[in-house]
Amino acid sequence: MGLRRPHLEEVARLASSPVPFWEIAPENVVGQGGAKARQAWTILERDPVISHGLSMSMSGFDPWADETLDDLVAFLKRTKTPWHSEHLCWTSVGGANTHELLPVPFTKAAVTHTADRVKRLQDRLPAPFLLENISWYAELGEAEMSEHDFLNEVLSRADCGWLLDINNIYVNSRNHGFDPKAFVEGLPLQRVAQMHIAGHSWDEEDQLIIDSHGAPVIDPVIELFQWVLPKVFEATGRAVPVLLERDNHIPPLAELLTEQKKLQAAYDEALAPFAETRA
Amino acid sequence: MNLERVEKLQAVLADIALDTDVSAFRQDPIAFAAARGLEPGDARALLRWQRRLLTYRALVRFALSDPLPDCFPITKALLGEAWENCVDAFLDARAIQSPYYRHIHPHFVEWLADTGWGNEQWPCLLSLAHFEYLELEVLRAPEDEVQPDLVHAPASGRGVRFSASARNLAYPWRVQEATEETPAPAEGTALLFCHRLPDGRYHQRELGGASSAFLTRLMDDAPMGEAAEAVELDWDEATAFLEELRSEGAILGYT
Repeated sequence: MGLRRPHLEEVARLASSPVPFWEIAPENVVGQGGAKARQAWTILERDPVISHGLSMSMSGFDPWADETLDDLVAFLKRTKTPWHSEHLCWTSVGGANTHELLPVPFTKAAVTHTADRVKRLQDRLPAPFLLENISWYAELGEAEMSEHDFLNEVLSRADCGWLLDINNIYVNSRNHGFDPKAFVEGLPLQRVAQMHIAGHSWDEEDQLIIDSHGAPVIDPVIELFQWVLPKVFEATGRAVPVLLERDNHIPPLAELLTEQKKLQAAYDEALAPFAETRA
Repeated sequence: MNLERVEKLQAVLADIALDTDVSAFRQDPIAFAAARGLEPGDARALLRWQRRLLTYRALVRFALSDPLPDCFPITKALLGEAWENCVDAFLDARAIQSPYYRHIHPHFVEWLADTGWGNEQWPCLLSLAHFEYLELEVLRAPEDEVQPDLVHAPASGRGVRFSASARNLAYPWRVQEATEETPAPAEGTALLFCHRLPDGRYHQRELGGASSAFLTRLMDDAPMGEAAEAVELDWDEATAFLEELRSEGAILGYT
């Protein structure tokens, strides 16, 4: 589960972690002091942690400040995260930060630029780097390729890991009218090191599914999740960790843990045929 | 490789998201794109995806403005209907530059200070917004590093090491008395000293002129005796005050 601010005090008081791991955004902890930061560090130094960044703007052009990179490196070392991930998107341009995951033009130039930037960041980090596929609502400019080919090209050229967000594939498939299973076919599942699963919301006015992370995961997403898990297992030879994302309308911890257990059961069921190998 | 095209497209989406007035894009995306030097194919894409690009406008504006009312409720009450105009102008200025989401609040205060937005109509605006952000700033200030070389007895020739959370402020308005019901503070000096208590809570006290000036000098690294003498503060009174601050965690020790 994602380590959320409203749950910090309660989780910090626990004797041990109630989940296999916590995912945390370095941006939410780095450079902060005070009671909330102390609670966060109590958890991060007690429990297994996976780092997931929000604002390195991997397809953007704004340079990274040395201080930001140094802080990130220190955070990754301190938390002993097995890897660090970012989104396949841009968040800032001309120095102005939007704090939103914005779509990358599906062009050859954007592939090369993003892959170069991933390599440059990877060279600075003390842990392997993953890119996450995002939900997108509009093409930015005239596309030279499909999202499928764009994602494939970037992962290949950057030679990095893939954080497969199954909800984002579902959201895009509904918003843009394609078969999510066909989309997954032909993508480099051997690069998957982690997955995300989340709830979303329906925007009646725009007739659009928004990747809001503000509701429970719906059954069709769980079905897609269970369909892809064995494929990822076969491609990677292991059961990859999956994060339940919840960033808005955050319910009490107990409620979220109930949903996490439901997803854990779906995960175990999907990987049951590989039980011997997993053991 | 046409990187310039990619960056130009990103800048155009930022314009759609952040500009206060996007009527040109709503009315004629092709002309909007041409005015920004986009290629014809990209201009047609802007037209094709016009509605969804405006969805991004809503998402970005929500992401950037959502944290403001919780931090600045009295400022919002002071501005009334003009609050939305203020937020629009803030977003339009591209003043949010940090990769850290929590920096939206200080960027807002810095932007008010840099531009003087609304100052003519609401001369207390900047002071009030600054004061409203103060509590958050203090609560999130970096932890103090352990400094074993500090001593714990005040002496005339020694300096004072303050906590990173300590703030000694002078406002020309009685900002601490403003409320959402009565958001316009009265004119009058407010000398405030704020810091984080050892248990993490925010603490604020109003000071007299001599005490405030004394702390100002100490924060400028003046020795205690010299600082007390300069503001005509009795030595025993000065050391008792400093020890009280030390017991509350505002002072780490003496150098």
